[in-house]
Order: sequence, then structure tokens, then C-alpha cells
Amino acid sequence: MSTGTAQAPIATQPLVALVGPPNAGKTTLFNRLTGLRQKIANYPGVTVEKKVGVVSLPGGGTIDLVDLPGVNGFSARTLDERVTRDVLEGRVAGMRAPDALVLIVDSTRLEPQLMLVEPVLEIGVPTLLVLNMSDELAARGGSVDTAALGEQLGVEVVAGNARTGEGSAEVFAFLEKVRERGPLPERPCPAISNVTRGHPLPVVDAFAARRRHIREVGRAARFQAPVPSAVTQKLDSIFLHRVGGPLIFLGVVLLVFQAMFTWATPFMDGVEALIAGSGTWVAATLPDSWIRSLLIDGVWAGVGSVMVFLPQILILFLFLGILEDSGYMARAAVIADRMMHRVGLQGRSFLPLLSAYACAVPAILASRTVEDQRDRLTTMFVAPFMTCSARLPVYALLIAAFIPDRALLGPFMSWRSATLLGLYALGLIAAIATAFVLKRTLLRGEPSNFMMELPPYRLPTLRSIGLRLWDRTKIFMKRAGKIILSVTVILWALAQFPGGPENPPPIEESVLGRMGQVVEPAIAPLGFDWQIGIGLISSLAAREVIVGTLGTIYGIGEADETSLELQDALQSHLDLGSAVGLLIFFVFALQCLSTVAVMRRETAGWKWPALQFTYMLALAWVGAFLANRLL
Amino acid sequence: MDGNTARKIDDVPERELRLRDIGIDEEVEVVRFDLPVHQAEQLMERGIFPGCRLCPVRKSPSGDPIVMVDGVMLALRDEIAGCVCVKTSPRED
Repeated sequence: MSTGTAQAPIATQPLVALVGPPNAGKTTLFNRLTGLRQKIANYPGVTVEKKVGVVSLPGGGTIDLVDLPGVNGFSARTLDERVTRDVLEGRVAGMRAPDALVLIVDSTRLEPQLMLVEPVLEIGVPTLLVLNMSDELAARGGSVDTAALGEQLGVEVVAGNARTGEGSAEVFAFLEKVRERGPLPERPCPAISNVTRGHPLPVVDAFAARRRHIREVGRAARFQAPVPSAVTQKLDSIFLHRVGGPLIFLGVVLLVFQAMFTWATPFMDGVEALIAGSGTWVAATLPDSWIRSLLIDGVWAGVGSVMVFLPQILILFLFLGILEDSGYMARAAVIADRMMHRVGLQGRSFLPLLSAYACAVPAILASRTVEDQRDRLTTMFVAPFMTCSARLPVYALLIAAFIPDRALLGPFMSWRSATLLGLYALGLIAAIATAFVLKRTLLRGEPSNFMMELPPYRLPTLRSIGLRLWDRTKIFMKRAGKIILSVTVILWALAQFPGGPENPPPIEESVLGRMGQVVEPAIAPLGFDWQIGIGLISSLAAREVIVGTLGTIYGIGEADETSLELQDALQSHLDLGSAVGLLIFFVFALQCLSTVAVMRRETAGWKWPALQFTYMLALAWVGAFLANRLL
Repeated sequence: MDGNTARKIDDVPERELRLRDIGIDEEVEVVRFDLPVHQAEQLMERGIFPGCRLCPVRKSPSGDPIVMVDGVMLALRDEIAGCVCVKTSPRED
């Protein structure tokens, strides 16, 4: 991030920044004020999400609103804190210093959260303090005199609830005033004083002094802390019970899995049928030309590969949204922490790794919540080992073709389901072992400090779940969709030359076929021929693409993982050893360019994705080699 | 146990109490941290300061403490709780 005065764009309308601690309701207020008129991007050079929206004021005008990452302070220890400080100080390139601030705090946790007020007021722009969840404060027997608090702090204060919209009128009135006054003139960067930066007192004393001051303010404003929520205590005695807690945790994990893999299936089949049906329709209406071929075999196939994941990802996000908004996810993180700490991870890594069973892309994005940088990198590094849904069609095809449908444990388990379970376990073991090794080598350091605030349980609202679903789906489509689509089109093009799309060559003479032959010597020790090589290359778009590609190469045409012809063809190209080798290859290898691209974005460089790709490929090669030799 | 033993214990300088030694629902005051600055900062940003009063409210299934401070519930790791020095003292107000 640039330092010094950034070149601010000419202001047409004022910019207001929304500041506050995590989980104080900042994003809820942001959504309420902007509706869906928001743009998500990254801050230059870092991976912190920048959310800017436009607020339409009741008076007719508009202002820009930026939702800053939630922070507990300005020590700039975490990336979020650094970004927030830089925005407030006007140090972000292409972004003007805010003309006004809205500081939102959770009134049930008023005193600790007011620690942010003092540094925020030092910026010297008009500030509105929103006491969110004031109805909950009252319901739990707490109270605060907002007028007296405003007087004490020297700032305008409004009590409200971002979820119900209570207090919105006052916020709009404040924004209206900001708009009327217009953008502030250029000014020197204000600096947020920070107790660890240039403060005369030692850190601990400085913090304590600020805290004492806030306590006096609270006393003057007759702040009465709420009694702990009785419902929350009751629920915690169940969800955090020594025996019951972990059992419920296990149940929740199983429920999420069940939802992803059972309930999503009909929707996924529906989407597949829809894509196939519309493809056939388009094919019938268009004249036989290379454009038709590009549309059907390139674009349509690509869109299909992306869309087929959507139902599962939506269901996953729906469940995670409910778990997060209700407050259970924080408890789940606490329960998972010890277990994950043992392998070098921590409780916050749990949610990303669970998401990775649907897709590594949202998992890597979700790793942002892991505060500790080393823990975050480890989480992102091992996430692609989790069995994502793109692997399933590949597993299904190979298992059906090579593993006999015989009982292993009587009626309880067949050889086939045991194989599938084994592949899941293998991925998990690889993830654990990798995390263990990483935290003792490349990412060694002081043990991270896991600390989790347990918010009161709340009923999630439809609105906030809906917005979250919309938000994450958009990001998934943007990050994964674009890459899968473009790689599919490139693969289509590679199969058209030499000769061109009017006169495509036989697959073995095409550029794609040649690429398969080039990699053949490298994969021959694994028992794979050049056709499998083409399949491996094309599966870089998304793993399951190999199924369709092999169908084309073996001249079967429209093939899916249940196609018997494709299974027969595979049996004549692979023996048991190389088939198991191929399964193991797919467990380990990072056959997914979307994941690589997201890793590059999230780590702001090529180092980690390159290392991850090479490491996983090496593991895959060795695993497949051993299987081919031993079986 | 007789009176003698009791006096002997009184003579021994009071062993420093750590947060991890405190029972459920027993309110204590934080005295200082035995932690590197960045970890202490993390605690302070979440409301745990020298001088603040807190109270363990339950243990997580793995035995890590969950404390209540200023109406906020915080789950800590036991290792950290072992580095927070506390004292039992009556409320000032």
C-alpha cells in the first residue's frame, strides 16, 4: 500500500467510511444503507476486500459509502487493521480521505468497543456514533444515556438496530448533512495515534489509561452493562457441553455434508440437463460451422462446468450463513481449535476447510478470517487436498470401471464405497501431514494466539442470509467462472489446429493431442498413455472435464461418468494399478487453474501457488507411481 | 489442620495466581501479562487489561477457559490463560 499523500480523484460527492469492530453490525448497516448498489474490489496490493456502495438519500442526492474491515484497534498488527488505518488516513491510492465517518459499535459490548472512539475522533472529520443492537441491550436489562454519552465523547450518537432499520432515519439525516456540506477540501493526512506508535507510555499502560478513560465516560453516561443473555447461557451449556458439544459439532458437520452431497444432487442433475438440453437446442438451430462447434464444445461446455457446481455451493453457503449469523460458528471454531492446533492449524481454519469439500476457491477466500498470517497460509495451502466436488465425477467413473461391486463388510460397505471413503481419507491425511510439516518448516514461528469472541445467539434474518448468498456467489462466479470458461475455450481451440475449425484434425494430430504426446514420457511410469495425458491437461480447467475429454478422445461422444462405453474404453487403456494410480493422482494433484489463480490473488504473488502446484504434483506423481508398481 | 500450619501458609509470599487457576464464576482482577507485546495487545483490544475484572464462565469441551469481560464472552487457549496474572480482590464500587 502506498504511503504519503495519494493522488485523490476529483471528488464529485462526499465519501463516508463505515468503521467498527468485527461483528458489530457494520456490514448489516452497509447493506441497509446501500441496498445492492455496491462494488467489491480489493485494496491495491493486498487481499482485503474493499466494499464501496452508493447511498441514495431520501432528499434525492447520493453519497459514496465504504465499508471498512472490522477492527478491534489500530495497532496495524493484522492486514485488516492496516487497511482500515490507511483508508482513514487517506493513504490509499485512488481513494480520497473520508469526508465523514460512521462508527458503529455493539451496545451490548459498549465499553470495550468504545476504545475505538478516541483514535477515530482524532481524524477530525464529522463522526456519527451508532449504538447498534440497542434493543438487545434493553432486553437484557442494560441501558445507556445516549445524549450524555454524546456529550462526554463530543460526538453525535444514535441508538438503533441495523437489522430492523431502527435509527436509520437519524443515519440518513447525518449523511444528508454530509452531502449538503459537500466534499471536504484537500487536507494533510491526519494520523491516527496508536498506543504502540510514538506513545510516551509503555503499551500496556497506554491501553489501560485509555480504558480507564472510557470507563469514566461510561459511568458519566450511566452505562449499565447487560446481564448475560439467559438464552445464550442455556444454549452454550448444550453446545459447549463437554460430551454433547463435540457430538453436536459432529452432527452439524455431517448435516452440512449430507446437504451438499444429497440434497444438492437433484439440483445439480437439473442444471446439467438444462445445459445439455439447451446445448442440443442451440446445436440444432445453428448451421454446422466452426461457430457452432465453438459455442457447443467451448462456451457451452465451459458454462456447464461452472454452473453444475452452483447448487452445491449455494447450499454450502446457505448453511454456513445460518451457522455464522446464529453465532454457532464461533462455538464450532472453539470446539475445533484444540484438534486443529495439534496439526498446526487453529479453530478459525475450520470453516474454510469445511468449505473446501465443496470447492477450494471459496475455501481459500474464506481463509481471510484466519487472523494469523502463518495459519492463514497453511490453511490455504492444504485446502485443495480436501475432496472437492469436481473430483467426484472422476472418482465415480474410475471406481465404476475398475472396482468390483462386491460386499466388503456384508451389507454395510462394498468395495466401491470403501474405495471412495479411502480417497476422502487420503486427501484429509495429506492435508494434515502437510500442515504439520509446513508449520515446522517454512511457516515456523511463535505459536499463534487463538482467541474467539462468542457472540450471543441470534436468529438469522432472511435478508442477511440472502445478501450473503448473493455476495459469495458473485465472487465465486467472478473468480472461478471466468477461468473455467476461458480454459475450456482455449482447450477447444487447441483441438482445432492445425487445420483450423473449418477442418479440424483428428485429435491425436491436433495441438492438444501433441501436448498429450509431449507429456507421455513423464506419465508413462504411472501407466498413463497420451490420451490420459490429454485428459490430465484438460482437467486443469476443472477436474471433472477429464470425463468429457476422454469420451471425445475415445470417440464415444457425449459421455458422462455413468457411461458404460467409456468404462469399457478405460478398461482397455488402464490396468488396475494405473487406474488406482489415476485416482491417487486426482486426490493429490492441483488440477485446477481457478485455485491457482485465487491463490495468486490471495497471497499477492506467484511464490505460494507455484510451490503448492509443484508440491501437490510431486505428491501425485509419486503416489500414482507407487500404485502402478505395487498393484 | 491446626493454627500453626495456617500461619505458616500466611507467611509464605502469596503465590502469583494465574487465570487458568481460577474456578468458574469466581471474579478476579487482571494484574499483568506474561506475554510478548503483540499477544498482550490482542488481549487488550478485546477488553482484557491490567485492572479489568473478569470471570471464567465455563470451560470449552477441550478444557480451555471461556471468560466474561465487560459483558463479552471470550474463548481463550489455556496456554494464554496461564500467562495472565490475576488477583482476587473485592470490587471497588
